[in-house]
Amino acid sequence: MLTYITRRLLFLPVVLIGVTLMVFVVMSFLSPYQLVSAYIKSPEELKNQSLDDLVRKYGLDLPPHIRYVNWMRNLLKGDLGYSVSANMRVTEAIAQRFPATIELAMFSIIPVIFGGIWLGTISAKHYNKPLDHISRTFAIIGWSLPDFVFGLLMLMFFYGVLGWFPPGRLSNWADTVVLTGDFVRYTKMNTIDSLLNGRMDIFWDAVRHLVAPIITLSYLWWAFLLRITRSSMLEVLNKDYVRTARAKGLGERTVINRHVRRNAMIPVATVSGSMVLGLLGGVVIVETVFDYKGIGLLTATGAQQLDYTLILGTTLFYGLLLVLTNLAVDMFYAVIDPRVRLE
Amino acid sequence: MVMRKLLRNPLSLIGLVLLFGFVIIAIFAPWIAPTPEAYKDEPYRVPRYGWGSAPAPPSEEHPMGLTQGKYDIFYGIIWGTRTAFQVGLIVIGCSCAIGVLIGSVSAYIGGKFDEIVMRFVDVFMSFPFLIAAIVITAVLGRGLDKVIIALILFRWTGYARLIRGNVLQVKQDEYVMAARAAGVSHLAILLKHIIPNTIFPVLIQASMNMGSIVVTAATLSFLGLGAPEGYADWGQMISFARNWVLGSPGDPLKYWYTVVWPGLAIILFVLSWNLIGDAFRDIMDPRIQG
Repeated sequence: MLTYITRRLLFLPVVLIGVTLMVFVVMSFLSPYQLVSAYIKSPEELKNQSLDDLVRKYGLDLPPHIRYVNWMRNLLKGDLGYSVSANMRVTEAIAQRFPATIELAMFSIIPVIFGGIWLGTISAKHYNKPLDHISRTFAIIGWSLPDFVFGLLMLMFFYGVLGWFPPGRLSNWADTVVLTGDFVRYTKMNTIDSLLNGRMDIFWDAVRHLVAPIITLSYLWWAFLLRITRSSMLEVLNKDYVRTARAKGLGERTVINRHVRRNAMIPVATVSGSMVLGLLGGVVIVETVFDYKGIGLLTATGAQQLDYTLILGTTLFYGLLLVLTNLAVDMFYAVIDPRVRLE
Repeated sequence: MVMRKLLRNPLSLIGLVLLFGFVIIAIFAPWIAPTPEAYKDEPYRVPRYGWGSAPAPPSEEHPMGLTQGKYDIFYGIIWGTRTAFQVGLIVIGCSCAIGVLIGSVSAYIGGKFDEIVMRFVDVFMSFPFLIAAIVITAVLGRGLDKVIIALILFRWTGYARLIRGNVLQVKQDEYVMAARAAGVSHLAILLKHIIPNTIFPVLIQASMNMGSIVVTAATLSFLGLGAPEGYADWGQMISFARNWVLGSPGDPLKYWYTVVWPGLAIILFVLSWNLIGDAFRDIMDPRIQG
């Protein structure tokens, strides 16, 4: 196991270089003048220098390989430039928005994994019976509902009609409490902070704002995971060792839980990587629909206003995030499938 | 054989009927929703009836109502069907062609070359499709054509990887050996023997991606990166609805038609492809029959 992890860790820089190279190639489509904003550190710099000076100052007229090295040096220092649309440095903007997105994603993964796997198992156990048809139809419909349509419908009914789940992150009164006074923002995740501060009223307010985005973000992957779990369960159910387990006289529950599900989880682990990719993409839409101020909304507004600094900065950040989650997925994979470790 | 099974399964039958409906709508768009005189030169521009931004409810002349900016929803949906098919077919066609070409050549040549190409593909595939598409579209500078380019750029890799695996299997088969022994050129072997024998799964995969491609394109339009304002496009119709989903005080469902009709169009379109795709997968995958 340890050698496996070290091998994966050694591969990490290679992937990171790949991701930065890709972003760099995208950047080279832009003119040096558009790129200047990615380098300046504050708006004051624009005041007493012409754009040409700035282009020269930051070496944007140099050949690509030198620019790449310089750019990487900046990145390693943690400098991503100044964003006009967010009106602050990109690193600051990301630091400010990221906890919100983590909060959303974290709570979304729970229903996805438990709901998807549980329903998939039920579906497979009742193969071709009404229960299977119901959950499959649900899955296909879920898989066909574009998240922005679903999100708007959620907003229309659960906020417009019923008034239950408002958009945003917190109500105005709660926002005031959080930002002022003696409310300590340990993690900047509202649900956790409010519990740590012992403010149940704020906790409930945060939850109320989270419900609709979580449902919107997770249902699609629910449906996806249900499908994968179902078909891989069906495949495993036909295996000889399952028949052996049954022949030994093991109860149905033990057979399903101990012999079938564990093996059926392997393909599920394989897709969890692409699921994380999808969730990260989904965050952009869900946050836009519900006006939930996280990284996704930051990216979306950046893209709408063609704020290249911000787009490139967040892209790099996503890249880093992905590399790390992929690593986690690989390890998870090695834990549930011992064969991987021996490769 | 496959067709008969598709027709026998109720779910895929619904899918086929829906898809057939959309094809009919796309073909007969000029008859279903005739372009008004003033817009004759640009049939894809959705006609506006009146001033002001507030939507107007369905009426006799406008069966689905007018959305934000007084654009006719019915017209937008009918002509948007054409846009959806166009985007889907162009993206699928181009990315399939590129993917098949690169994937099969890479596998056929093999060795170091193959290794490098595949690492390249890995980097492309390790990025969230939607975010990549957003970044590329924004950098290229907005518009439906930019959306199409962005989608192709990040879609071909899947097909390349798929056909590569198939070609690697077929490469050593006797008929390929025989062709080579008979002195057939590499290009001819690839085009006449290998690709025809390996392309089928790619085509199935590609047709099943139609739904998701159209959704991604619509998403980009929804975010304001796609079609220019007023172009017949489902994603944009829904983005118009964004400001109106909450209705007005006392009447939360006042503007329901702005989101329900275009939403329904997208959902049914994607559903039709997914129903067919799902049945197809069950038919083609003998492991789970039993």
